[in-house]
Amino acid sequence: MNRKHLSKSAWAALIGKWVFLAVMIIFTVYPVVYTVLGSLKTNAELTQGGGFLPQEWHFENYYKAFVQADFTQYTLNSVIVSVSVTFLAVATCSLAGFILARREFAGKKLLMALYMSMMFVSLGSVTLYPIYELLRTLKINKTILALVIALTGGQATNVFLVMGFTKGIPKELDEAAIIDGCSIYGVYSRIILPLSKPILAVVALFSFRNAWNDYITSLIMTISMPKLQTLTVAVVQLKYSVNAAAEWHIMLAGASIAIIPILIVYLLANKQFIAGLTAGAVKG
Amino acid sequence: MEDKKSRSIIQQKKAVKQNLQAYSFLLPNLILFMACSLYPVVWTLKYVFYQYGGFGTGVPRFVGLANLARVFRDKVYWQSVLHTFTYGFGKVIIIIPLAFFLAFLLNQQKRGNGVAQSIMFLPTIMSSAVMGLVFYLLFNAYNGEINKYLMQVGLISRPINWLGKNNAMKTLIITAVWGGVGNYMVYFIAGIQQVSEDAIESARIDGAGRLQTIWYIIIPMLGPILKIIMMLAITSAFHDITNVMVLTEGGPNNATMVMSLYGYRYFFPISSAEATIPQYGYGAAVSVVSAVIAGVVTVAYLKVSKKLDDIY
Repeated sequence: MNRKHLSKSAWAALIGKWVFLAVMIIFTVYPVVYTVLGSLKTNAELTQGGGFLPQEWHFENYYKAFVQADFTQYTLNSVIVSVSVTFLAVATCSLAGFILARREFAGKKLLMALYMSMMFVSLGSVTLYPIYELLRTLKINKTILALVIALTGGQATNVFLVMGFTKGIPKELDEAAIIDGCSIYGVYSRIILPLSKPILAVVALFSFRNAWNDYITSLIMTISMPKLQTLTVAVVQLKYSVNAAAEWHIMLAGASIAIIPILIVYLLANKQFIAGLTAGAVKG
Repeated sequence: MEDKKSRSIIQQKKAVKQNLQAYSFLLPNLILFMACSLYPVVWTLKYVFYQYGGFGTGVPRFVGLANLARVFRDKVYWQSVLHTFTYGFGKVIIIIPLAFFLAFLLNQQKRGNGVAQSIMFLPTIMSSAVMGLVFYLLFNAYNGEINKYLMQVGLISRPINWLGKNNAMKTLIITAVWGGVGNYMVYFIAGIQQVSEDAIESARIDGAGRLQTIWYIIIPMLGPILKIIMMLAITSAFHDITNVMVLTEGGPNNATMVMSLYGYRYFFPISSAEATIPQYGYGAAVSVVSAVIAGVVTVAYLKVSKKLDDIY
């Protein structure tokens, strides 16, 4: 459509649309901008009212957060946990989703029903307590493995997502590979795994996001080992520190350290995030 | 005869091998599922009937239905149920129309729309805990930027106590809308793109305006998807806990205590500033009753939306 031919009312609609969108975009972006700009201000500027931009750019806030508040350790923890959870989630969901899509075996119906029912029974965060006790019995509650296990969890939704995707891959491919002498392991690793990349990318993206952003599970699983805390936990704990009122700039520096990596991931993969969400919602 | 027998043994062996193979694929996930999904649920259901103070406090004591009876007498719990409904209703009633309107404006593949979509989706990828802390600073009554700007513009003359007793729930809903609207917008865009262009086009040709097209074509045709989106919004509102925990901690004076957080407090302290004496049995009972309430609401919603289908 040529812009010259837009009628007056069409122009009005277009302007109205973008005014409304501008308001929504400011509403959405403002807290993020506040976090990043605030992380470069002094505490006095933040609490007593300074300008929108910092008067001077105080990059030493990040130095304080990383060195004095131990955020180097927490960042490392977050990276280790998120990467491990992503890897574990993709591996376990891929294996389980494949076999559920392709094989009949004893107990399959019961297992599917159990997985399905756990998607609907939601007791919330209180289930972290029995998980914690179980991991204590196994004597791994003081390691980072406890958090990785608790955060990965059963993945019922993702298993069904991968299962649905695998069902869409023609069975003839499997059969041809079997005739060529492939075992079921070969069929999985040579045929299905390479073809499942799109759906596994979705699982990876969302597992990473959830692990990186999680708060409550990470809080509970590191309760006896504060050194293993992840970024989100460490940032929120600053709220309860003795001189919290004097540390807004450190809180915001910590918050920025926690959100900037995921922002970068989003910048690189925002199309996949949005497409993945609908894939999960429509099929899952 | 012998031949048949040996053949059936071979077949049996083959079946066993196939089952073993299948379980070798399933096992890694199955272990995690058992440990992190199934076991905790069974544990919680069991402890509904026990009194238990945790590790090192003695043996759990069977108390029958006493915990459940206590839940039904617990006024603070039923207040928290009410707060959950207020929160859920407030969130859904704002987020659904807003998300739909955004989707309607942004669903076409036009310049600028993609960027606007990406920006609106942004809060979805950020930690609700970290952003809860940021909102805690922004909405601070005396030092927060929100009050500062509102006073500069002249909209208010005195600072509003955003996290005080009367406003905390509203503030919580505002932050929940911030965090969720992009998510539902994407669902709606997926839905609108399934409504055929032809139907919209032919409505236009017949002289329907924009609003008429929305009201008579898009919304009715979106029906089934709208139902799913509404259900997702309602059920997710029941489970929101992180933002409440960080922003208001259920307070002040339980004004924003929601049922998920109320069950949690009997297991773990809500904040590092608070010490709780754990009551796992009672916490389990609270959580199970809450899950049943959420389930009943979901089923009731499905029944009502089905009735609406019949009317159409």
